[in-house]
Amino acid sequence: MTLSFAKRSSSRSEGRLLSWLLLPVALIALGPIVRLLLEGVGFGSGLTGAHLVEVISQGSTHRALVHSLVTAAGGTILSVLIGGTFAFLVALTNVRARGALVFCLMVPMMIPPQITALAWMQVTGPSSVMLKMVGLAPPLGSSQPLHSPGGIILLLGIQHASIVFLTLRAGLRQIPADLVEAARMSGAHGLRVWAQIVMPLTLPALGAGAAMAFVTALGNFGITAMLGIPARYSTLPTLIYQRLVGFGPSVLSEVAVLALLIGLVAISGVLLARWLLARRSHGLVGLSGQPLSISLGRARLPVEIALWTFIAAILALPLMALLFTSLIPAYGVSLTWTNMTFDAWVEALLRQPMTRRAYVNSISLAFGASAILMAVCLPLAWLMTRRPSRAARTIDVLADLPYALPGVVLSIACILAFLDLPFTDMTLYGTIWIILLAYLARFLVVMLRPVQASVGQLDPAMEEAASAAGARLGRRLRTIVLPLAAPAAAAGAILVFLTAVNELTVSALLWSSGTETLGVVIFNLEDSGETVMASALAMSIVLLIVFLMAGVQLLARRLPKGVVPWQS
Amino acid sequence: MAELIYSGLAKQFDGSARPALDGIDACIESGEFVALLGPSGCGKTTLLRLTAGFEEPTRGEIRMGDRQVAGPGHFVPPEDRGVGIVFQSYALWPHMTVAGNVSYPLKVRGLARAERTRRVEEALALTGLSEFADRAPAQLSGGQRQRVALARCLVAEPRAVLLDEPLANLDLALRASMQENFTAFHRRTGATMLYVTHDQGEALALASRVAVMEGGRIRQFAAPEVLYSEPVDCFVAGFVGDGAVVSARAAGPFDRSGLEVEALGMRVKVRSREALPTHLCIRPEDVSLTDEGGLRARVRGCTYQGGRFRVVVDAAGEDLVAFSRKRLVVGAQVGLRINRPWAFREPGVSAFPARVMVDA
Repeated sequence: MTLSFAKRSSSRSEGRLLSWLLLPVALIALGPIVRLLLEGVGFGSGLTGAHLVEVISQGSTHRALVHSLVTAAGGTILSVLIGGTFAFLVALTNVRARGALVFCLMVPMMIPPQITALAWMQVTGPSSVMLKMVGLAPPLGSSQPLHSPGGIILLLGIQHASIVFLTLRAGLRQIPADLVEAARMSGAHGLRVWAQIVMPLTLPALGAGAAMAFVTALGNFGITAMLGIPARYSTLPTLIYQRLVGFGPSVLSEVAVLALLIGLVAISGVLLARWLLARRSHGLVGLSGQPLSISLGRARLPVEIALWTFIAAILALPLMALLFTSLIPAYGVSLTWTNMTFDAWVEALLRQPMTRRAYVNSISLAFGASAILMAVCLPLAWLMTRRPSRAARTIDVLADLPYALPGVVLSIACILAFLDLPFTDMTLYGTIWIILLAYLARFLVVMLRPVQASVGQLDPAMEEAASAAGARLGRRLRTIVLPLAAPAAAAGAILVFLTAVNELTVSALLWSSGTETLGVVIFNLEDSGETVMASALAMSIVLLIVFLMAGVQLLARRLPKGVVPWQS
Repeated sequence: MAELIYSGLAKQFDGSARPALDGIDACIESGEFVALLGPSGCGKTTLLRLTAGFEEPTRGEIRMGDRQVAGPGHFVPPEDRGVGIVFQSYALWPHMTVAGNVSYPLKVRGLARAERTRRVEEALALTGLSEFADRAPAQLSGGQRQRVALARCLVAEPRAVLLDEPLANLDLALRASMQENFTAFHRRTGATMLYVTHDQGEALALASRVAVMEGGRIRQFAAPEVLYSEPVDCFVAGFVGDGAVVSARAAGPFDRSGLEVEALGMRVKVRSREALPTHLCIRPEDVSLTDEGGLRARVRGCTYQGGRFRVVVDAAGEDLVAFSRKRLVVGAQVGLRINRPWAFREPGVSAFPARVMVDA
């Protein structure tokens, strides 16, 4: 046995080499946002706030801001009602089949908003195939009731109920049964226990969930565009979209201000949520014992029936309406056994070059983003866990930003950053690469967090044992860390894929002819009146999503806690 | 197989006020089985991790044989040191089989498949694991996992084997049989072994020499029997073995056989290497309960230890420990004779001879 000689720790210099990874990650994830901030203060045209003042004082800006706040607030209240009720019943009582309930409540969150909107539009309105089948359709010519602020609020509320549900359920699970028992022993009765013990303890979690639902609703583009644009009811995201589509890059600095405005509101919401969650955690540390569980007694069956009926109403009803619409030969016709046809499916999936291209684009983008992020996040998570430097910690904190900010904000930021590539004459605007870069920035945390959780749980001795066995850093990462973090990385990759394949908000602003994504195509098909084909395409995507979600579900048992978003 | 030499070794962790290691000087002979013994936080694990190369020393150097592996401006990473390590958690890779775990070090070294298979089989046979070769670590018991970790560490024929509390996670019965395993193993392979433990029974039973550590320093580095019968200071005397430490003053001339000291209000003949000792270490074996004894004491406690009673007695305000064949009643008066205990000089305590000696 001989000692090979190294002047200085070779594994440590490998570690230092790895640190250079932080640079491209920071540039791609945070560069565009920094560029956007600079635009706000008039970077490039001399430091000036004139632009800022001009855009903000416009009447359309005011209207859109008010519309955004109203719909987001309304949607949030609805989300709190739905998500809160479900969270209390699922987390605290003895209802059965909770896993299935939770999974079904999560599906609306994973279905892209434009598909949700499309599906609900098939439930209501004069052309609803479903209503025609039962003879309840309103007379032709009457308006689509969902094309209104109320419709937007309703769908935003349903879409984001699961966010409130997840946060609140996590909070409720931390309430130990003995707190309630202690209150009972002190003589407090049912409602008093509820009002004085359970509610105060869950308020921070509820508040945090509400704040997050608000931020997500604020940035929602799919629903507000599908329902709001026909009703001429514009919110900030749709205003940005319409300006940019109408006038092209010449209005960039104007929409940048709008993006900053919505980003500012969103960041306030995120910070509020974080603050509320941090407050919750130190109140209830070190508690052991049974989590709280309330027996519903004879009310259990009725409650279960009510819950499943509700699930059927928000999930099965719109999806069935969507399915029915996709099976009719032409829009406006009723569905019968004899005229049922898969023509629209065949047309959408096999014949139309645009939809085929969109499938190829979306799947390649989603696949590319998850593969690149998987390759980057493994060493990145290792670096953050094992060699935490100041730079690594900063990126760790800021990596949430591109995901937390509304998609339109990130899109505008990416256009600004990549329109004229620094030091070259090239532009990425209009190519598929700008969408890929935006996806990489946006979905970095979706991949990073599960891998981080997994690497954090690894016993450092595993790597040290390999190191003592003679394996260098590269080999240790490949043969020890990678296989052990693989399930989390796979779950992360599926989540990135799932989110990216559905994505509309970012690509709606970044696409051009030839680089359409699935989200954009559904939007455009519906916009040009091809509702049947849009429904068929949407339905095929829903099937893909449920299939992928089931895949993650199967992996769930081998993953660290908190990796699967609907099982936290 | 190489010797390990530490000189002036110190380690200061960032953000910690006290150094974890504070000037370690020691030499471990080739083929020696050395235990690092001490309470938690004494620096024993830090010393082990510095030896393995998982940490870099703040000062001082480590040599393995004639090669410096850590020193000012020079550091050999763990993968180039050729040492084997067995962790307290075993650190078996859960995604590899037993054979996969054991062959990993050979794979890393790029050995041919046939050679690899032969050596893995050999190592598994040596640890009695041949039939478990294709199992996953999760399917093994604690003792079997321990043996896999040992086989993995030895298959590469390391220059030194480092063991970090390897028995801490096993139950008592298994510990005894694993201890025998380690001794047999050491005899068979002749490897230099460094064994970290906080269990003095383990350290005294296994090691040929024990380094007792406290506060980042080695207090005493000697054979187990020497630690027990001739501790150098109060810490070692109290930490290793049973008994009492009482203060004493020299009361007679020092010669080869020892001297006479004043302790417990009487004169006692003691063994010592110091002319002016400050303390006595009185082991239970040094105390005989007899009515003719010159010292009267009161029984404070009596516990049965199988075959004999451990008796704590109060003699002249000090608690002494003695063994007795009969049960004694708490509160009873007994006579004691103290038979040539060990006397030492606690560093940093000034030693005055007793007044009588000045008279003499």
